[in-house]
Amino acid sequence: MNTLRVAAAFLRKDFLAETSYRLSFALGAAGTLSGILIFYFIDKLFGGAMAAHLTPYGTGYFPYVFTATAFFGYIGTGAGAYSERLRLEQAQGTLEAVLSTPVTTGSFLLALTAWNFLFATFELLVYALSAVFIFSLDLSAANWPAAALVFFLSAACFASLGILSSCFVMLFKRGNPLAWVLNNFEGLLGGVYFPVTLLPPWLAAVSDILPVTYAVRAFQLTVHKGAGLGAVKGDLLALVLFDAVLIPAAVYLFHLSTERARRSGTLGQY
Amino acid sequence: MLIEARGIEKIFPAPPLSGGEGLRALAGADLEAGPGVLGIEGPNGSGKTTLLKILAGILRPDSGEVLADGRPEPPRRLRALAAFCPASPRGFYFRISAIENLRFFGALAGSSPEDAAAAAAKFAPRLGLSGTDLGRRFDRLSEGNMQKVSLLRALARRTPVLLLDEPFRGLDAAARSGLLAILKELSPATAILIASHDEHFLREAAPRTLRLFPAGGGAGR
Repeated sequence: MNTLRVAAAFLRKDFLAETSYRLSFALGAAGTLSGILIFYFIDKLFGGAMAAHLTPYGTGYFPYVFTATAFFGYIGTGAGAYSERLRLEQAQGTLEAVLSTPVTTGSFLLALTAWNFLFATFELLVYALSAVFIFSLDLSAANWPAAALVFFLSAACFASLGILSSCFVMLFKRGNPLAWVLNNFEGLLGGVYFPVTLLPPWLAAVSDILPVTYAVRAFQLTVHKGAGLGAVKGDLLALVLFDAVLIPAAVYLFHLSTERARRSGTLGQY
Repeated sequence: MLIEARGIEKIFPAPPLSGGEGLRALAGADLEAGPGVLGIEGPNGSGKTTLLKILAGILRPDSGEVLADGRPEPPRRLRALAAFCPASPRGFYFRISAIENLRFFGALAGSSPEDAAAAAAKFAPRLGLSGTDLGRRFDRLSEGNMQKVSLLRALARRTPVLLLDEPFRGLDAAARSGLLAILKELSPATAILIASHDEHFLREAAPRTLRLFPAGGGAGR
């Protein structure tokens, strides 16, 4: 109950604060689709060149990159939003005030990015509507229950990475090596913009240790080929293992970094 | 409620790789406060704010303990028992209204947003803050009114321990009188600790005053 109350309070506060920047809010909402148009024209120009790599997914380049971008846009929210929000709270001077209340680590983590996830859901809805009404994508083969499971496991995994990343913000304020890796390599090496089979073997080996690789592949297969749980069991198992390790580790390490900030007196610093 | 600090020591470590030394803020501070108002005075850097933040569970001491009614309490429990009003009203969301800030922080403290707003509205007129002021965006308030909202945030929590750091700063005469009256009303049931350099108002608010000396000088209380 208290966690819900805290999450609702954060949602209301962030909604009011974000909509107070009216132009930014409007541009953010309108810009959701602009990126996807780039891929639409890339497909027109070069789409056929990737046909061989896309055969396992049973789709063309544009539908591939469209669903991957929509999917990665949502799960990537977890990866980026924690450190971004925490840094904002530090810079505003509100972090110490928030953590002066008896709010628990779990409630704080669930509430801190609630607004980002809500906005990402709105963006996902825009993607879904444009897929149907603007780009007329054929998603009739999709296995939605399996896709939803992949989605849930992936979102939890990326939120955990985001929480781990925010530990650096809590301790060092600026300089976040995990965010750097997440920003620069997850999209490039994880099969978001092109299938990982295009990568040279040494880079493909790196992509094998990134959760995004398993998440995107499983999501693409369930959405475009209607793959069932059996067909993506390897990817699902990898995601479950990542979750089993990352979720408790992230919450525990965030708690430890907060306690360290309380000890060093740096909660109020930026 | 009786709140006690026993042998509180606090050294703020130097930033990593800075080559500097840690800063000793408290060297064995002891304190005991029951219902009523206790003043805390001392020169700059004597550890007044540090002590209040440790009592509020915001900071962790390096050694020593804080007890509530004779029981050592962990910081999270202290954060539920004590409301802290900082010396600077920086810890608010400037893009939303004062009342929305109070609703938000009330929810984090365990109240419903409506209760938090109602509790704040009860004290607001006595500090000279109108409903219009409460509805105004926080960054459009004067510094004195920001301080009043900061006081309201702490008062609205109705905790058994109230910790006020420089509460008179920026207040006009009417608000200072209002605050003194509120403190007098709350004092039979609330342990109120006030750190201030304003000796005149500190004497008026607190029948008992504790003096802190800089820990570097060797004395901790």
